[in-house]
Amino acid sequence: MFKPFRELLIVRFDKTATTEKRIHFYFTSNSRQLTQNTMSQSQRITLYILILMAGAAWISISAGTSTVGTTSAPQAGFTAPDFTLKTPTGEEYTLSELKGNAVLVNLWATWCPPCRAEMPAIQKMYDEYKDQGFIVLGVNMTYQDDPFTVTPFVEEHGLTFPILLDEIGNVGTAYQIRSLPSSYFINRLGVITEVVIGGPMSEALLRTRIEEALK
Amino acid sequence: MLTLFRNLFAPPRHMILLVIAAWLGLTLAEKRAKQYGLSKDDLNNLIFYGLIAFVIGGRLSFVLQNITTFIKSPAGIISINPDIFDPIGATAVALIIALVYGQRLSLSLWPTLDALTPFFAILAIGIGLSHLAAGTAFGKETSLPWGIDLWNAARHPTQIYETLASLLIFGLLWFQKQSPRPGIHFLTFAAFTAASHLFIEAFRGDTSTLIFNSLNPNQVIAWVALALCFLALESRITQLKKAG
Repeated sequence: MFKPFRELLIVRFDKTATTEKRIHFYFTSNSRQLTQNTMSQSQRITLYILILMAGAAWISISAGTSTVGTTSAPQAGFTAPDFTLKTPTGEEYTLSELKGNAVLVNLWATWCPPCRAEMPAIQKMYDEYKDQGFIVLGVNMTYQDDPFTVTPFVEEHGLTFPILLDEIGNVGTAYQIRSLPSSYFINRLGVITEVVIGGPMSEALLRTRIEEALK
Repeated sequence: MLTLFRNLFAPPRHMILLVIAAWLGLTLAEKRAKQYGLSKDDLNNLIFYGLIAFVIGGRLSFVLQNITTFIKSPAGIISINPDIFDPIGATAVALIIALVYGQRLSLSLWPTLDALTPFFAILAIGIGLSHLAAGTAFGKETSLPWGIDLWNAARHPTQIYETLASLLIFGLLWFQKQSPRPGIHFLTFAAFTAASHLFIEAFRGDTSTLIFNSLNPNQVIAWVALALCFLALESRITQLKKAG
Protein backbone atom coordinates (compact mmCIF):
# COMPACT_ATOMS: atom_id res chain seq x y z
CA MET A 1 0.00 0.00 0.00
CA PHE A 2 2.85 2.40 0.89
CA LYS A 3 5.11 1.38 -1.95
CA PRO A 4 3.81 3.89 -4.57
CA PHE A 5 3.92 6.68 -1.98
CA ARG A 6 7.51 5.81 -1.07
CA GLU A 7 8.44 5.75 -4.78
CA LEU A 8 6.79 9.13 -5.25
CA LEU A 9 8.81 10.65 -2.42
CA ILE A 10 12.04 9.11 -3.67
CA VAL A 11 11.57 10.44 -7.20
CA ARG A 12 10.24 13.81 -6.02
CA PHE A 13 13.12 14.54 -3.68
CA ASP A 14 15.84 12.76 -5.64
CA LYS A 15 17.67 15.70 -7.14
CA THR A 16 19.81 13.37 -9.22
CA ALA A 17 16.80 11.74 -10.91
CA THR A 18 16.92 12.24 -14.65
CA THR A 19 14.01 13.67 -16.63
CA GLU A 20 13.67 10.25 -18.22
CA LYS A 21 13.23 8.66 -14.81
CA ARG A 22 10.66 11.28 -13.81
CA ILE A 23 8.68 10.74 -17.05
CA HIS A 24 8.86 6.96 -16.58
CA PHE A 25 7.56 7.35 -13.03
CA TYR A 26 4.76 9.67 -14.18
CA PHE A 27 3.51 7.16 -16.74
CA THR A 28 3.84 4.10 -14.54
CA SER A 29 2.04 5.83 -11.66
CA ASN A 30 -0.62 7.00 -14.08
CA SER A 31 -1.24 3.51 -15.42
CA ARG A 32 -1.27 2.22 -11.85
CA GLN A 33 -3.94 4.79 -11.11
CA LEU A 34 -5.92 3.53 -14.07
CA THR A 35 -5.82 -0.06 -12.95
CA GLN A 36 -6.02 0.37 -9.17
CA ASN A 37 -7.72 3.62 -8.24
CA THR A 38 -10.53 4.00 -10.82
CA MET A 39 -14.06 2.95 -9.99
CA SER A 40 -15.43 -0.35 -11.18
CA GLN A 41 -18.06 -0.36 -13.92
CA SER A 42 -20.87 -1.15 -11.48
CA GLN A 43 -19.78 1.71 -9.19
CA ARG A 44 -19.74 4.12 -12.12
CA ILE A 45 -23.16 3.04 -13.37
CA THR A 46 -24.59 3.40 -9.84
CA LEU A 47 -23.14 6.93 -9.70
CA TYR A 48 -24.62 7.84 -13.11
CA ILE A 49 -28.05 6.55 -12.08
CA LEU A 50 -27.92 8.44 -8.77
CA ILE A 51 -26.96 11.70 -10.52
CA LEU A 52 -29.70 11.25 -13.16
CA MET A 53 -32.27 10.48 -10.45
CA ALA A 54 -31.22 13.61 -8.54
CA GLY A 55 -31.51 15.58 -11.81
CA ALA A 56 -35.01 14.24 -12.47
CA ALA A 57 -36.01 15.09 -8.87
CA TRP A 58 -34.63 18.63 -9.34
CA ILE A 59 -36.66 19.09 -12.56
CA SER A 60 -39.77 17.96 -10.73
CA ILE A 61 -39.08 20.16 -7.65
CA SER A 62 -38.39 23.23 -9.77
CA ALA A 63 -41.40 22.72 -12.06
CA GLY A 64 -43.80 25.62 -12.06
CA THR A 65 -45.74 28.01 -14.16
CA SER A 66 -44.13 30.45 -16.56
CA THR A 67 -43.65 34.01 -15.26
CA VAL A 68 -43.10 35.52 -18.68
CA GLY A 69 -45.60 38.19 -19.68
CA THR A 70 -47.07 38.71 -16.22
CA THR A 71 -45.32 42.03 -15.75
CA SER A 72 -44.45 44.91 -18.02
CA ALA A 73 -40.88 45.31 -19.31
CA PRO A 74 -39.13 46.22 -22.59
CA GLN A 75 -38.09 42.64 -23.31
CA ALA A 76 -39.47 39.84 -25.49
CA GLY A 77 -42.15 37.89 -23.64
CA PHE A 78 -43.30 40.79 -21.45
CA THR A 79 -46.25 43.14 -21.82
CA ALA A 80 -44.98 46.28 -23.58
CA PRO A 81 -44.70 49.28 -21.19
CA ASP A 82 -47.63 51.56 -21.84
CA PHE A 83 -47.32 55.23 -22.81
CA THR A 84 -49.33 58.15 -24.11
CA LEU A 85 -47.64 60.65 -26.43
CA LYS A 86 -48.63 63.36 -28.87
CA THR A 87 -47.76 63.86 -32.54
CA PRO A 88 -46.33 67.26 -33.66
CA THR A 89 -49.90 68.21 -34.64
CA GLY A 90 -51.23 67.42 -31.13
CA GLU A 91 -52.96 64.08 -31.87
CA GLU A 92 -52.69 61.71 -28.86
CA TYR A 93 -51.81 58.00 -29.05
CA THR A 94 -51.90 55.46 -26.18
CA LEU A 95 -50.15 52.15 -26.81
CA SER A 96 -52.58 50.04 -24.72
CA GLU A 97 -55.51 51.35 -26.79
CA LEU A 98 -54.00 49.72 -29.87
CA LYS A 99 -54.46 46.17 -28.50
CA GLY A 100 -55.81 43.87 -31.21
CA ASN A 101 -53.25 45.27 -33.69
CA ALA A 102 -49.62 44.31 -34.21
CA VAL A 103 -47.50 47.35 -33.32
CA LEU A 104 -43.93 48.34 -34.10
CA VAL A 105 -42.60 50.88 -31.61
CA ASN A 106 -39.54 52.40 -33.27
CA LEU A 107 -37.43 54.71 -31.11
CA TRP A 108 -35.36 57.09 -33.22
CA ALA A 109 -33.67 60.49 -33.54
CA THR A 110 -32.95 62.68 -36.57
CA TRP A 111 -29.18 62.73 -35.88
CA CYS A 112 -28.92 58.91 -35.88
CA PRO A 113 -27.73 57.59 -39.32
CA PRO A 114 -29.13 54.02 -39.01
CA CYS A 115 -32.50 55.49 -37.90
CA ARG A 116 -32.58 57.54 -41.10
CA ALA A 117 -31.48 54.56 -43.18
CA GLU A 118 -34.24 52.22 -41.98
CA MET A 119 -37.15 54.68 -42.34
CA PRO A 120 -37.91 53.91 -46.04
CA ALA A 121 -38.13 50.16 -45.28
CA ILE A 122 -40.40 50.81 -42.26
CA GLN A 123 -42.65 53.05 -44.38
CA LYS A 124 -42.81 50.40 -47.12
CA MET A 125 -43.76 47.67 -44.63
CA TYR A 126 -46.37 49.95 -43.02
CA ASP A 127 -47.98 50.50 -46.45
CA GLU A 128 -47.93 46.77 -47.16
CA TYR A 129 -49.27 45.47 -43.83
CA LYS A 130 -51.46 48.27 -42.40
CA ASP A 131 -54.63 46.69 -43.82
CA GLN A 132 -53.86 43.51 -41.85
CA GLY A 133 -53.83 45.44 -38.56
CA PHE A 134 -50.21 46.60 -38.41
CA ILE A 135 -49.38 49.99 -36.90
CA VAL A 136 -46.05 51.76 -36.58
CA LEU A 137 -45.43 54.25 -33.78
CA GLY A 138 -42.28 56.19 -34.60
CA VAL A 139 -41.27 57.64 -31.24
CA ASN A 140 -38.81 60.49 -31.67
CA MET A 141 -36.45 60.85 -28.69
CA THR A 142 -37.21 64.58 -28.66
CA TYR A 143 -35.46 65.10 -25.32
CA GLN A 144 -32.21 64.04 -27.03
CA ASP A 145 -33.05 65.66 -30.39
CA ASP A 146 -33.72 69.04 -31.95
CA PRO A 147 -37.56 69.29 -32.04
CA PHE A 148 -37.46 71.66 -35.03
CA THR A 149 -35.82 69.00 -37.22
CA VAL A 150 -38.57 66.40 -36.70
CA THR A 151 -41.26 67.71 -39.07
CA PRO A 152 -38.79 68.42 -41.95
CA PHE A 153 -37.40 64.88 -41.44
CA VAL A 154 -40.89 63.34 -41.64
CA GLU A 155 -41.69 65.33 -44.80
CA GLU A 156 -38.36 64.50 -46.40
CA HIS A 157 -38.92 60.74 -45.92
CA GLY A 158 -42.67 60.88 -46.74
CA LEU A 159 -43.61 59.10 -43.48
CA THR A 160 -47.34 58.49 -43.10
CA PHE A 161 -47.36 56.49 -39.85
CA PRO A 162 -47.80 58.33 -36.52
CA ILE A 163 -44.67 60.15 -35.32
CA LEU A 164 -44.77 60.76 -31.56
CA LEU A 165 -42.65 63.14 -29.53
CA ASP A 166 -41.04 61.92 -26.32
CA GLU A 167 -40.29 65.37 -24.94
CA ILE A 168 -39.37 64.51 -21.35
CA GLY A 169 -37.92 61.04 -21.92
CA ASN A 170 -40.72 58.96 -20.32
CA VAL A 171 -40.68 56.37 -23.09
CA GLY A 172 -36.87 56.36 -23.28
CA THR A 173 -36.79 55.58 -19.54
CA ALA A 174 -39.62 53.01 -19.61
CA TYR A 175 -37.95 51.19 -22.53
CA GLN A 176 -34.51 51.47 -20.84
CA ILE A 177 -33.06 52.68 -24.10
CA ARG A 178 -29.31 52.21 -24.52
CA SER A 179 -28.89 52.40 -28.32
CA LEU A 180 -30.71 54.04 -31.23
CA PRO A 181 -32.61 52.90 -33.17
CA SER A 182 -34.43 50.42 -30.94
CA SER A 183 -37.46 48.57 -32.27
CA TYR A 184 -40.09 46.62 -30.33
CA PHE A 185 -42.46 44.30 -32.18
CA ILE A 186 -45.68 43.86 -30.19
CA ASN A 187 -48.36 41.24 -30.94
CA ARG A 188 -52.13 41.71 -30.89
CA LEU A 189 -52.21 40.87 -27.14
CA GLY A 190 -49.79 43.66 -26.28
CA VAL A 191 -46.84 41.31 -25.61
CA ILE A 192 -43.41 42.08 -27.07
CA THR A 193 -42.46 39.32 -29.51
CA GLU A 194 -39.08 40.65 -30.60
CA VAL A 195 -36.64 43.44 -29.80
CA VAL A 196 -34.17 44.68 -32.41
CA ILE A 197 -31.46 46.93 -31.03
CA GLY A 198 -29.46 48.87 -33.60
CA GLY A 199 -30.03 49.09 -37.30
CA PRO A 200 -30.76 49.69 -40.06
CA MET A 201 -33.34 46.90 -40.26
CA SER A 202 -33.73 45.36 -43.70
CA GLU A 203 -37.10 44.78 -45.35
CA ALA A 204 -36.66 41.03 -44.92
CA LEU A 205 -36.05 41.31 -41.18
CA LEU A 206 -39.03 43.65 -40.81
CA ARG A 207 -41.23 41.25 -42.77
CA THR A 208 -40.34 38.20 -40.64
CA ARG A 209 -40.87 40.10 -37.37
CA ILE A 210 -44.15 41.74 -38.51
CA GLU A 211 -45.61 38.44 -39.74
CA GLU A 212 -44.73 36.84 -36.41
CA ALA A 213 -46.41 39.70 -34.48
CA LEU A 214 -49.51 39.50 -36.71
CA LYS A 215 -50.06 35.77 -35.99
CA MET B 1 -20.35 47.97 -11.57
CA LEU B 2 -23.05 45.80 -13.16
CA THR B 3 -24.72 48.86 -14.70
CA LEU B 4 -21.37 50.02 -16.06
CA PHE B 5 -20.73 46.59 -17.59
CA ARG B 6 -24.22 46.46 -19.10
CA ASN B 7 -23.88 49.96 -20.54
CA LEU B 8 -20.42 49.24 -21.92
CA PHE B 9 -21.55 46.06 -23.68
CA ALA B 10 -25.16 47.06 -24.43
CA PRO B 11 -26.53 45.30 -27.53
CA PRO B 12 -25.28 45.04 -30.23
CA ARG B 13 -21.86 45.52 -28.54
CA HIS B 14 -22.43 42.36 -26.45
CA MET B 15 -21.24 40.44 -29.53
CA ILE B 16 -17.73 41.76 -28.76
CA LEU B 17 -17.70 39.50 -25.69
CA LEU B 18 -18.32 36.45 -27.88
CA VAL B 19 -15.54 37.47 -30.26
CA ILE B 20 -13.09 37.97 -27.35
CA ALA B 21 -14.11 34.60 -25.87
CA ALA B 22 -13.62 32.84 -29.23
CA TRP B 23 -10.17 34.40 -29.65
CA LEU B 24 -9.08 33.56 -26.09
CA GLY B 25 -10.48 30.02 -26.37
CA LEU B 26 -8.65 29.48 -29.64
CA THR B 27 -5.38 30.70 -28.08
CA LEU B 28 -5.73 28.28 -25.15
CA ALA B 29 -6.76 25.39 -27.40
CA GLU B 30 -3.67 26.02 -29.55
CA LYS B 31 -1.50 25.82 -26.42
CA ARG B 32 -2.87 22.37 -25.62
CA ALA B 33 -2.99 21.06 -29.22
CA LYS B 34 0.45 19.45 -29.12
CA GLN B 35 -0.40 17.44 -25.99
CA TYR B 36 -3.17 15.73 -27.97
CA GLY B 37 -0.96 15.01 -30.96
CA LEU B 38 -2.47 17.75 -33.13
CA SER B 39 -0.77 20.53 -35.01
CA LYS B 40 -1.61 24.13 -34.07
CA ASP B 41 -2.39 24.96 -37.70
CA ASP B 42 -4.84 22.09 -38.12
CA LEU B 43 -6.72 23.11 -34.99
CA ASN B 44 -6.67 26.74 -36.04
CA ASN B 45 -8.04 25.93 -39.48
CA LEU B 46 -10.68 23.62 -38.05
CA ILE B 47 -11.99 26.38 -35.76
CA PHE B 48 -11.72 29.00 -38.50
CA TYR B 49 -13.77 26.96 -40.99
CA GLY B 50 -16.19 26.01 -38.22
CA LEU B 51 -16.77 29.67 -37.35
CA ILE B 52 -17.22 30.68 -41.01
CA ALA B 53 -19.71 27.82 -41.42
CA PHE B 54 -21.48 28.97 -38.22
CA VAL B 55 -21.97 32.49 -39.56
CA ILE B 56 -23.00 31.48 -43.10
CA GLY B 57 -25.04 28.49 -41.92
CA GLY B 58 -26.97 30.62 -39.41
CA ARG B 59 -27.93 33.09 -42.12
CA LEU B 60 -28.83 30.41 -44.68
CA SER B 61 -30.91 28.46 -42.18
CA PHE B 62 -32.87 31.62 -41.27
CA VAL B 63 -33.39 32.42 -44.98
CA LEU B 64 -34.62 28.88 -45.74
CA GLN B 65 -37.06 28.99 -42.83
CA ASN B 66 -38.48 32.31 -44.11
CA ILE B 67 -38.06 31.67 -47.83
CA THR B 68 -41.29 33.42 -48.92
CA THR B 69 -40.16 36.61 -47.14
CA PHE B 70 -36.76 36.55 -48.79
CA ILE B 71 -38.28 35.91 -52.23
CA LYS B 72 -40.09 39.25 -51.77
CA SER B 73 -36.94 41.00 -50.43
CA PRO B 74 -33.91 39.06 -51.76
CA ALA B 75 -31.45 41.85 -50.81
CA GLY B 76 -32.14 40.91 -47.18
CA ILE B 77 -30.04 37.75 -47.61
CA ILE B 78 -26.86 39.82 -47.60
CA SER B 79 -28.00 42.62 -45.26
CA ILE B 80 -25.86 43.39 -42.22
CA ASN B 81 -28.60 42.66 -39.64
CA PRO B 82 -27.22 40.18 -37.09
CA ASP B 83 -30.83 39.32 -36.20
CA ILE B 84 -31.23 37.44 -39.50
CA PHE B 85 -29.70 34.38 -37.90
CA ASP B 86 -30.75 30.93 -36.67
CA PRO B 87 -28.34 29.69 -33.95
CA ILE B 88 -29.53 26.05 -34.11
CA GLY B 89 -29.04 25.88 -37.88
CA ALA B 90 -25.69 27.65 -37.47
CA THR B 91 -24.47 25.04 -34.95
CA ALA B 92 -25.62 22.16 -37.15
CA VAL B 93 -23.85 23.54 -40.25
CA ALA B 94 -20.66 24.32 -38.25
CA LEU B 95 -20.60 20.76 -36.87
CA ILE B 96 -21.05 19.22 -40.33
CA ILE B 97 -18.30 21.37 -41.87
CA ALA B 98 -15.93 20.73 -38.93
CA LEU B 99 -16.55 16.96 -39.24
CA VAL B 100 -15.96 16.96 -43.02
CA TYR B 101 -12.85 19.15 -42.70
CA GLY B 102 -11.53 17.06 -39.80
CA GLN B 103 -11.96 13.89 -41.87
CA ARG B 104 -10.08 15.48 -44.78
CA LEU B 105 -7.20 16.23 -42.44
CA SER B 106 -7.49 12.70 -40.97
CA LEU B 107 -7.89 14.09 -37.46
CA SER B 108 -8.95 11.58 -34.81
CA LEU B 109 -12.30 12.57 -33.32
CA TRP B 110 -11.67 12.17 -29.59
CA PRO B 111 -8.22 13.80 -29.30
CA THR B 112 -9.52 16.68 -31.46
CA LEU B 113 -12.53 17.16 -29.18
CA ASP B 114 -10.21 17.02 -26.15
CA ALA B 115 -7.99 19.70 -27.68
CA LEU B 116 -11.03 21.86 -28.50
CA THR B 117 -12.39 21.65 -24.93
CA PRO B 118 -10.71 24.90 -23.71
CA PHE B 119 -12.25 26.67 -26.74
CA PHE B 120 -15.75 25.41 -25.84
CA ALA B 121 -15.22 26.16 -22.13
CA ILE B 122 -14.12 29.77 -22.71
CA LEU B 123 -16.93 30.26 -25.24
CA ALA B 124 -19.41 29.15 -22.57
CA ILE B 125 -18.04 31.88 -20.25
CA GLY B 126 -18.38 34.43 -23.09
CA ILE B 127 -21.99 33.36 -23.71
CA GLY B 128 -22.81 33.87 -20.01
CA LEU B 129 -21.26 37.35 -20.05
CA SER B 130 -23.02 38.32 -23.27
CA HIS B 131 -26.34 37.21 -21.73
CA LEU B 132 -25.57 39.44 -18.75
CA ALA B 133 -24.75 42.41 -21.00
CA ALA B 134 -27.86 41.98 -23.15
CA GLY B 135 -30.16 41.15 -20.22
CA THR B 136 -31.29 37.94 -21.95
CA ALA B 137 -31.53 34.50 -20.30
CA PHE B 138 -32.80 36.38 -17.24
CA GLY B 139 -33.92 34.87 -13.94
CA LYS B 140 -37.18 34.53 -12.04
CA GLU B 141 -38.15 37.19 -9.56
CA THR B 142 -36.56 36.75 -6.14
CA SER B 143 -36.27 38.43 -2.74
CA LEU B 144 -32.81 36.96 -2.14
CA PRO B 145 -30.16 39.58 -1.25
CA TRP B 146 -28.07 38.81 -4.35
CA GLY B 147 -30.98 39.41 -6.74
CA ILE B 148 -30.24 41.92 -9.53
CA ASP B 149 -32.56 44.64 -10.73
CA LEU B 150 -33.50 43.67 -14.26
CA TRP B 151 -36.62 44.22 -16.38
CA ASN B 152 -38.44 46.05 -13.60
CA ALA B 153 -37.93 43.41 -10.89
CA ALA B 154 -35.29 41.94 -8.57
CA ARG B 155 -34.31 38.70 -10.31
CA HIS B 156 -32.06 35.69 -9.87
CA PRO B 157 -28.77 36.64 -11.58
CA THR B 158 -28.93 33.53 -13.77
CA GLN B 159 -26.42 35.02 -16.21
CA ILE B 160 -23.93 35.36 -13.33
CA TYR B 161 -24.71 31.78 -12.15
CA GLU B 162 -24.11 30.63 -15.73
CA THR B 163 -20.80 32.54 -16.01
CA LEU B 164 -19.53 31.33 -12.63
CA ALA B 165 -20.45 27.71 -13.40
CA SER B 166 -18.64 27.94 -16.77
CA LEU B 167 -15.59 29.51 -15.05
CA LEU B 168 -15.54 26.75 -12.46
CA ILE B 169 -15.80 24.03 -15.13
CA PHE B 170 -13.02 25.67 -17.14
CA GLY B 171 -10.81 25.94 -14.01
CA LEU B 172 -11.42 22.31 -13.04
CA LEU B 173 -10.56 21.02 -16.50
CA TRP B 174 -7.68 23.38 -17.25
CA PHE B 175 -5.78 22.57 -14.07
CA GLN B 176 -6.68 18.86 -14.07
CA LYS B 177 -3.91 16.50 -15.13
CA GLN B 178 -4.39 15.48 -18.75
CA SER B 179 -6.29 12.20 -18.98
CA PRO B 180 -4.39 9.52 -20.88
CA ARG B 181 -7.70 8.28 -22.26
CA PRO B 182 -8.85 10.18 -25.42
CA GLY B 183 -12.34 11.63 -25.22
CA ILE B 184 -12.64 11.62 -21.42
CA HIS B 185 -11.59 15.29 -21.10
CA PHE B 186 -14.24 16.49 -23.57
CA LEU B 187 -16.99 14.21 -22.24
CA THR B 188 -16.28 15.35 -18.66
CA PHE B 189 -16.64 18.97 -19.82
CA ALA B 190 -19.89 18.14 -21.64
CA ALA B 191 -21.30 16.29 -18.59
CA PHE B 192 -20.41 19.15 -16.21
CA THR B 193 -21.92 21.70 -18.60
CA ALA B 194 -25.14 19.71 -18.97
CA ALA B 195 -25.37 19.26 -15.18
CA SER B 196 -24.83 22.98 -14.55
CA HIS B 197 -27.58 23.88 -17.03
CA LEU B 198 -29.90 21.30 -15.49
CA PHE B 199 -29.43 23.08 -12.15
CA ILE B 200 -29.38 26.74 -13.28
CA GLU B 201 -32.28 26.55 -15.76
CA ALA B 202 -34.60 26.11 -12.75
CA PHE B 203 -33.99 29.78 -11.89
CA ARG B 204 -34.58 31.12 -15.42
CA GLY B 205 -37.58 33.37 -15.89
CA ASP B 206 -37.64 33.61 -19.67
CA THR B 207 -39.02 30.18 -20.49
CA SER B 208 -42.46 30.67 -21.97
CA THR B 209 -43.23 27.21 -23.38
CA LEU B 210 -43.48 24.51 -20.74
CA ILE B 211 -43.84 20.75 -21.17
CA PHE B 212 -47.11 19.48 -19.56
CA ASN B 213 -47.63 23.08 -18.41
CA SER B 214 -44.96 22.80 -15.72
CA LEU B 215 -41.65 21.24 -16.87
CA ASN B 216 -38.90 23.48 -18.20
CA PRO B 217 -37.92 22.09 -21.66
CA ASN B 218 -34.33 23.36 -21.29
CA GLN B 219 -33.92 21.32 -18.11
CA VAL B 220 -35.31 18.24 -19.84
CA ILE B 221 -32.86 18.75 -22.76
CA ALA B 222 -29.98 19.19 -20.26
CA TRP B 223 -31.01 15.97 -18.47
CA VAL B 224 -31.07 14.02 -21.75
CA ALA B 225 -27.66 15.53 -22.69
CA LEU B 226 -26.26 14.48 -19.30
CA ALA B 227 -27.56 10.92 -19.77
CA LEU B 228 -25.98 10.82 -23.26
CA CYS B 229 -22.66 12.07 -21.80
CA PHE B 230 -22.72 9.27 -19.22
CA LEU B 231 -23.46 6.69 -21.94
CA ALA B 232 -20.61 8.03 -24.09
CA LEU B 233 -18.23 8.14 -21.11
CA GLU B 234 -19.00 4.53 -20.21
CA SER B 235 -18.68 3.42 -23.82
CA ARG B 236 -15.27 5.21 -24.13
CA ILE B 237 -13.96 3.68 -20.90
CA THR B 238 -15.06 0.17 -21.96
CA GLN B 239 -13.56 0.59 -25.47
CA LEU B 240 -10.26 1.88 -24.11
CA LYS B 241 -10.03 -0.93 -21.54
CA LYS B 242 -10.64 -3.51 -24.27
CA ALA B 243 -7.96 -1.87 -26.42
CA GLY B 244 -5.60 -2.19 -23.43
